[in-house]
Amino acid sequence: MMTKLPKIAFRNIFRNLRRSILSAVAIAVSAMSIVMLFGLLAGMEADMANNLQSYYTGEVRIQHAEFEKYKRYNPLHLGVDWKSIEPILADNHQVRAATARINFPANMYLGEKQHGVMGVGADFSSEEAFIDFPSILQEGRLPQEGKNEILMGFALARDMQLGLGDKVTLLSTTATRGSNAFTFEIVGIAGFPVAGLNANSIWAPIDRVQKFLGMDGQTQEILLLLEDGADEKQTAIQIANEIESKLGTATDTRSWTELNMFYGMLRIAKIAYYFIAMFFFVLGSTVIINTTMMVIFERMREIGMLSALGMHGSELTKLFLLEGFFISMIGSAVGVIIGYVGTYYMGKVGLNFTEAFSGMDIEISSILYPQTSILTALVVWAYAVVISTLSTFIPSRHASKIQPVEALRYV
Amino acid sequence: MYKKISRLQKLMILTILLFCIPSILFALSADEIIGEMDRLSTFETTYSTGSIQTTDRFGTKTSQFKSWSQGEKDSLIEFTSKAERGQKILRTEGSLYLFYPDAEQLIRMQGAALRQSMLGSDISYEDMTEEKNTLDNYTAKLEREETFKGNACFVLTLTAKSRSVAYPVQKIWVDKQSFLVWKAEYSTAQGRLLKVMEVLETFKSGERVLPKQSKIEDKMKKNSATLMTIDSFEANPHLDRSIFTLENLTW
Repeated sequence: MMTKLPKIAFRNIFRNLRRSILSAVAIAVSAMSIVMLFGLLAGMEADMANNLQSYYTGEVRIQHAEFEKYKRYNPLHLGVDWKSIEPILADNHQVRAATARINFPANMYLGEKQHGVMGVGADFSSEEAFIDFPSILQEGRLPQEGKNEILMGFALARDMQLGLGDKVTLLSTTATRGSNAFTFEIVGIAGFPVAGLNANSIWAPIDRVQKFLGMDGQTQEILLLLEDGADEKQTAIQIANEIESKLGTATDTRSWTELNMFYGMLRIAKIAYYFIAMFFFVLGSTVIINTTMMVIFERMREIGMLSALGMHGSELTKLFLLEGFFISMIGSAVGVIIGYVGTYYMGKVGLNFTEAFSGMDIEISSILYPQTSILTALVVWAYAVVISTLSTFIPSRHASKIQPVEALRYV
Repeated sequence: MYKKISRLQKLMILTILLFCIPSILFALSADEIIGEMDRLSTFETTYSTGSIQTTDRFGTKTSQFKSWSQGEKDSLIEFTSKAERGQKILRTEGSLYLFYPDAEQLIRMQGAALRQSMLGSDISYEDMTEEKNTLDNYTAKLEREETFKGNACFVLTLTAKSRSVAYPVQKIWVDKQSFLVWKAEYSTAQGRLLKVMEVLETFKSGERVLPKQSKIEDKMKKNSATLMTIDSFEANPHLDRSIFTLENLTW
């Protein structure tokens, strides 16, 4: 009898095909949504990791030991000496590339108008490893060393009605905690992937920013990219120790995963999404539960007959459980396949969140490319099958508890 | 019934009355005190040099300056210390302009920008724009008389007439003799203390007593204080009036 149960269960699916399809569709929609959601999350995570490493922290960031503590006061005097740290980094085989940056808030003056911007002093030659400037340059060229030139985010240029050749005056707090103003010429307009950078960033040669902010030879931070396979946290500790032993300077050297709270939150959110997925499947499974319950009531006569003929309660449970399992398997498979194909397509064309992200200061690109993963698809499929099958356990158990005498009343 | 007053008693009463009458007759009102205070702190022209020493959580820094003023409204400060060399602040007719040697345009400070700290000190640009016509902007009330650091003072409360001033309420200790403001407490309308100024040293210019060293503490900042010291002072020197023009600033 046991060997015939799957066969009977499978055949039973077709006894009311419309109802079985309805159940399968509910599971399929859940599975498809989850595959797409995970694809979007994977895309967001990869995109954020790339943006953080390129535009914000590198894979490892070196700062003055006390900079973070006083960050809100913009303590530019708490800088690090780029020239003395550079040789130490060059000797480290784990370091693939290094660049110095100075981030500074400034007020941009255009006649009587003023606008808050975020300035970045960058060494454009060493930045090549971090940012593919030629690909994001929309107009003009990159600023040249020794010249008061800037590259401006396209949204900022558009909002302020500025173009190539226009001059802007920036006023900022200096490393001596005074103030200074410099006039810069716009030589390039860039389309950064991150909305925040487009809306308020300007990039200038680091030597001019050092002069502007009174940071002779000093930089606010040094960003590193590591060789493939290098452990970021361990390398950060190793570099901090090397700098301290060779220069006697304590630094705040940390990996990008330690520095970015939002990225950490995104990872935590991923765990939360697994729970959300579970609820999705339970929700989808209510259709199966309902269908199974209906089927049990419909087949009460049949159940009574089978029980009277000697079929055990556990076998009856298995029969209905198997029916649920087959529907779940088919529904999940269809949903996962549609979700995978949909995610793959969106991954190619991209999802444009420019309007939604405008004005938001997050390190996620305005155009997101969801990522497909066969492993994720298989996990979602298995997850959907298990949850949906388990959901049918409740009504299936009910079938096993029906007494033949009671069931035969329906005859 | 009535006891006859002796001649000696009459004389004593008369003497007391004679002593009291001048003080009653010549007691100054709050407005008169403020008017005198403004008059004595205003010169036709001045030239001075000095320093601003700011101590905050990161240490102490000193900036030197040269300063010119004309009447109530015009003043020019030029910084001479290395970090800020060549930077100028021009105040004229209630407007404040900043000149930086590497900037091609003058920066006019207005609105919220005026509340920013000048060179990271406890003095804001808004403090610089305060004009010496106090009664135009404030209603004065004489609270009491009090001795402050051994100096007999009037204690007055100034309440702003409009919202255009830097501080809604000021409590000031004005010397009864020299009309020098020894201490000032600047607060919000709700009584929250924003800033405290205290004169630590004085000097004389003619008959006038002026602050040589003042301590300013921004109570919104933790562990921060600014000492403003006047090293040299010249009253009513001959100044070219073009000093206080925008054209001169960029020259």
